[in-house]
Amino acid sequence: MSINFKQIEDKLKTEAKKLLEGGKVSIVLAYGKGYDEKHPMPYVARKMSDVENMVFNEFCTANMARYLVRYPRGTKIAIAVKPADSRAVIQLIQEEKIKREDLVILGIPVYGMKNFKTGETIDSKTTCGRYNPVIYDTLLGEEVHGQPVVSPYDVLAEYEKMDKDARWAFWKKELDRCIRCYACRKACPMCYCDPCFIDQNKPKWGEKSPESHGNLMYHLTRFHHLAGRCVDCGECSRACPVDIPLYLFHKKVAKECEEMFGQAAGMKIEDKPALVNFRVDDSDKILE
Amino acid sequence: MSRIGVFVCHCGLNIAKTIRVSELAQFASTLPDVVVAKDYKFMCSTPGQEMIASDIKEHKLDRIIVAACSPLMHEQTFRKVIENAGLNKYLVTIVNIREQVSWVTHDVEEGTSKAKALLNGAVYRARLLAPLTSRFIDVSPDVMVIGGGIAGIQAALELANTGKKVYLVEKNSTIGGHMAQFDKTFPTLDCSACILTPKMDAVLQHKNITMMTYCEVTEVKGYVGNFDITVKQKARYVDHDKCNACLACTEKCPGKGVSEWDEGLVKRKAIYIPFPQAVPQKPVIDRDACTFFIKGKCRLCEKVCEQKAIDFEQQDTFSTVKVGAVIVATGYDLMNTKPLVQYGYGKYPGVYSALEVERLFNSAGPTSGKVTLRDGKEPQAIAILHCIGSRDKNNYEHCSRVCCMYSLKFAHLFKEKTSADVYQFYIDMRAPGKGYEEFYNRIIEEDVKFIRGKGARVAESADEPGRMIVEAEDTITGKFIKLPVDMVVLSPAMIPRSDSKDIARLFNLSTDKYGFFMERHPKLAPLSTMSEGIFIAGVCQSPKDIPDTVAQANGAAAEALTIVVKDKMELEATTAMVNPASCCACQNCIRVCPYGAPFFNEQKGVSEINEALCKGCGLCASVCPASAIIARHFTNDQVLAEIEGLMEF
Repeated sequence: MSINFKQIEDKLKTEAKKLLEGGKVSIVLAYGKGYDEKHPMPYVARKMSDVENMVFNEFCTANMARYLVRYPRGTKIAIAVKPADSRAVIQLIQEEKIKREDLVILGIPVYGMKNFKTGETIDSKTTCGRYNPVIYDTLLGEEVHGQPVVSPYDVLAEYEKMDKDARWAFWKKELDRCIRCYACRKACPMCYCDPCFIDQNKPKWGEKSPESHGNLMYHLTRFHHLAGRCVDCGECSRACPVDIPLYLFHKKVAKECEEMFGQAAGMKIEDKPALVNFRVDDSDKILE
Repeated sequence: MSRIGVFVCHCGLNIAKTIRVSELAQFASTLPDVVVAKDYKFMCSTPGQEMIASDIKEHKLDRIIVAACSPLMHEQTFRKVIENAGLNKYLVTIVNIREQVSWVTHDVEEGTSKAKALLNGAVYRARLLAPLTSRFIDVSPDVMVIGGGIAGIQAALELANTGKKVYLVEKNSTIGGHMAQFDKTFPTLDCSACILTPKMDAVLQHKNITMMTYCEVTEVKGYVGNFDITVKQKARYVDHDKCNACLACTEKCPGKGVSEWDEGLVKRKAIYIPFPQAVPQKPVIDRDACTFFIKGKCRLCEKVCEQKAIDFEQQDTFSTVKVGAVIVATGYDLMNTKPLVQYGYGKYPGVYSALEVERLFNSAGPTSGKVTLRDGKEPQAIAILHCIGSRDKNNYEHCSRVCCMYSLKFAHLFKEKTSADVYQFYIDMRAPGKGYEEFYNRIIEEDVKFIRGKGARVAESADEPGRMIVEAEDTITGKFIKLPVDMVVLSPAMIPRSDSKDIARLFNLSTDKYGFFMERHPKLAPLSTMSEGIFIAGVCQSPKDIPDTVAQANGAAAEALTIVVKDKMELEATTAMVNPASCCACQNCIRVCPYGAPFFNEQKGVSEINEALCKGCGLCASVCPASAIIARHFTNDQVLAEIEGLMEF
């Protein structure tokens, strides 16, 4: 069995029409035609005629949860989510940025998505490696069974072999290449601060032009801000024009958080964000 | 441009011994904006204070830095000084060069260098400090006392007598606590009930005391002067408003529960009052023992109750009480000695724990005051073993303080009530109290045998079935002895209540390694805690006898009064505020605030902070990803400047 992208696209269009027509939602967040098949774009359908521009193919990697926080509170939104995207939706609900009742979640069970830059198949190396959305109202396709389950943290094996100094050298080298385009921030569903701390002037938290210290300040702080919140969709790494493997750090922090607090980001609506929630039995490991 | 004055304190030799103070002052005078820098032997003394005040006038200073001890000691002193000299009191900065420098190193080079770094940081920060205005809030005039033992009763009565309203919360169905279980009290041997029950009754009658028995605190919100405390009233299954205390129900009840009051030596009914003088004198139903709750039928109590007070449908109810101060007096448990298998408690019927023996002596106890063993015989030889679990590195290192004295009391009562030989096995005899040593001498003369050596083991006697052998080393003669007895009394360690950790969590108290609540200062603030407005009294702080407990209770009442006697109270101006332009509405501040100060403004889509609730702890500022929260007096600019100053070294 493989994923029938055309069938998902058709179902997406049917559902979108139904929802817009019935007035159940005022916008549908999904994917639209780009300048070629390899470059579909994030797309907002507001009226029936917009629906025809929608597409869904293996290059539709963008995490549409990124756009949820752009609309005024209470806006009724339908959103197409792939497995990791659904976790971002849950995380945003946990953080009370959006309300579950304002959403219609169109779940897309999927695997074999492709990186538009390299053409490589995307797997658990850069994402959470799930095949089915964690939360949805309507499933656009059949649940995926029988695919090999790979831990999203397996890719860390090499990284974890490095000692402290080697890791520091590794990140220093990688982050020095950053050109501060902020594509990672733009692609991330959890980066919704406006203005971002790095754009502030009083106090000025870090150098704004691309140079070593400012780059470290920006990225390390962003890693920290995403601790226990990153849903491992991998969009930051795909968005990066200089291919910094940001997913490595996020995965490492996510793994530590999961081990320490027993919960992964965006898995249950009832969970509280791990780093701002105090439980009596919380691990003290973080203090060591 | 600010004009900074730096004042370095020698604290006698406390600081001057490890830090070259004059060099530090000289260094300070080279720092930006520093107009005057001086060192002096005791900055907190009157001449020291006057020096600061006159320099403020002479040099037109607008920022003061005092390098001295911890701000906990003298920040308020120096705030007063500069306030009297006409400056805003928040413009003084304390640099702690005693606790954080001179007391933690002997190395003069290191000490002086660290002191310079701290001072450099302080100067950088002081330049950015802004004057702040204090706020005043109304104080709730009522007090809550938690625990209805002698400490709680005493504190409640003292406070109520001053005209303040007191809520006395007790988790059992009666007040009285452990003292109500005792027969006699050392060293005067007056009857415990005779001196306690009048006080219990006074609580019941007092118009200013609201007794909340069978209640537990479940949530604490607010802060000193304005606590909102949620109290759970556990279901009694008896409507106490209707009940006229005829107690007909307790006679008819077929249920059998374990009498906590008699330390499990006898059974009690399922609907019961714990003891005849219980206050309130109204019964509750023990669900676990009640035939109706177990089997689904019975309801005999309901049938005999003329007042129709029995209500099997009753549920736990919650109420919230507003108080200005709280006294925690939750008392103690005795250590469970069963795990110490060498003493055979629970294995040999002749081994008793101290509280069980108290009940045997008591005329309202299971044996009506006769000292008989579980088989009904009178003991011929009795061994009292001190320090079971306490003064013991394997269990509790602390001395339980009262065991020596009550063991002497036991010896006296055994002598009075039986013809048995009584042996005391002790490590050291500790009798430091008024009349205690005299009591000890009196008991020596009563032909009680004292063996200086800790009881090592209690074993079954091979020769005489039913008797036991106490083994110990007599450390005076150096001989190992084996003594046949038929009753062994264990004096177990006094330990904090099993739920003291929960209470500590509710009220933000710290505990020592055993779980006793920590006082703010072991000598100078023994009844205050690190949580302002929460005071402690009695054994929940550390083991102590009744006179000390009562003294502490009176002290805690006075401390609580210092808060609730005021109409208004000054609050720190160091609160946090939200810059709405930067707020990203993640609501982290709301999640982490222990005081419930931030709230979400749905209309504006940003967080806001209720300054009346804010204590200025800074948690919200630290979790704000967009740095939209400004903690006054610790703004990002100020803190970053201080870090910069520190890093220059």
